[in-house]
Amino acid sequence: MAGKVLVITSGKGGVGKTTTTANLGTGLALLGKRVCLIDADIGLRNLDVVMGLENRIVYDLVDVVEGNCKLRNALIKDKRCENLFLLPAAQTREKDAVSPEQMKELCDSLKEDFDYVIVDSPAGIEHGFRNAIAGADEAIIVTTPEVSAVRDADRIIGMLEAHDLSTPKLIINRIRPDMVRRGDMMDIDDMIEILAIKLLGVVPDDQDVIVATNRGEPVVFDRRTRSGEAYHNIVRRIEGEEVPLLQLDQEGFVERLKRLLNLDQKRRKAE
Amino acid sequence: MTGQDAVVLKGGRDGVAVIIDEGATIDAAIRDLRAKLSHAGSFFKGAAFRLEAGRRTLTLAERDALSSTMEEFGIKLRESGGANGVGDEVETPSVVEPRNQRPLRGSSDAVGSTLSGGEDQTLLVKRTIRSGQRIDYEGNVVVMGDVNAGAVVMSTGDIVVLGSLRGLAHAGAQGNDDAVVMAFRLEPTQLRISQYISRPPDEGGPRPDGPEVARVRNGVIQIEAYVP
Repeated sequence: MAGKVLVITSGKGGVGKTTTTANLGTGLALLGKRVCLIDADIGLRNLDVVMGLENRIVYDLVDVVEGNCKLRNALIKDKRCENLFLLPAAQTREKDAVSPEQMKELCDSLKEDFDYVIVDSPAGIEHGFRNAIAGADEAIIVTTPEVSAVRDADRIIGMLEAHDLSTPKLIINRIRPDMVRRGDMMDIDDMIEILAIKLLGVVPDDQDVIVATNRGEPVVFDRRTRSGEAYHNIVRRIEGEEVPLLQLDQEGFVERLKRLLNLDQKRRKAE
Repeated sequence: MTGQDAVVLKGGRDGVAVIIDEGATIDAAIRDLRAKLSHAGSFFKGAAFRLEAGRRTLTLAERDALSSTMEEFGIKLRESGGANGVGDEVETPSVVEPRNQRPLRGSSDAVGSTLSGGEDQTLLVKRTIRSGQRIDYEGNVVVMGDVNAGAVVMSTGDIVVLGSLRGLAHAGAQGNDDAVVMAFRLEPTQLRISQYISRPPDEGGPRPDGPEVARVRNGVIQIEAYVP
């Protein structure tokens, strides 16, 4: 079985790479796929915390690479999904403890056993980033609707091209439909126009994500949340299904009222 | 060391190229370069080398380190522009101060033609130039794609972007006032032509809805709609 290695990357920090990795991995596992997550952020590991698996770590990525343990001994089985595994990062080491060649070897051997290997890249464009993309077959770029995040995403796309990962896909995270509507936030079309890559999905800014993350259970478990639904749709798109984008600007009565009032105010101002 | 060369010196029709192995560290490359040059004695003295870094992105500091190593042996680092290897042109930063480049020939032939740069060579870039990427070329540059914010295109002649120009473009970089910058959507961060610099107004004017040309008129850069 030869699976696919996906790398989740962004350039800028704090846009939601780790949350995305956790949710896509869990989502794919819920569809019955065998999934392995790799935390490539050596020295600043987070993915285990977001997955709620921190206290089960015995061996980590660096142990595997240095031959201190067998690969399968370092893999941690998820609490809820039988077919989801995590290879955690080392916390007490630094990025240069692993080389891109070693990462490639690791990814190659993991994809023999799994349908999907998802690598969570560290922020930045240095050694850690090069490690993360070394074994990847495809890249997924996460960005938020901020000029700086989009700029960094653009830089990353350029660097991925230089590493033969020329058709990355885009996830726009933390979009706020109300702000987009008011013209206070970059809209999806603007970002697609600049980055010119295929859109994989849009995840709304949602408090449930923070709650779920702090509790150590990815929000994709809860399909009632809007972000959970969005991640679920992205997962289905990764699996090759055609799923229409989530209708984000479903406004409630109160919002509509507010908007109408607002418009009214603006019009009055214009006059 | 693996015994593999971190640096290979290769002579060609257009001079000597220093080819840096993609896997080698920059320190290893400099060490190897120094070893090779000292082995060659004064053979290369006065020559101009060109750098080929493959897919690697050399930082300015790395380039400086390589260039000063060469200077120790009386060798100059030359701009690596050329019509070949368009794809790599972007990531191999051919960033080099104009001083090492061939002087332009007179720009008196600039009458009435849009593609009127001092050089008759044109580099065709069939891709989008993204943030952090850079094109330097002695001649004209045509980009079939966008030039995004954070990207730099520098040429001694004209620059034509068949797409949106959102980054920085510097045409006529060696002092050719007749050079023009043209784009389907001209929305640059900054425009430079010859020694003139301009930027869009802070309040942000209307977005262009058609091709525009920027050129120097009466000592300022002016933008006008492109009329074929």
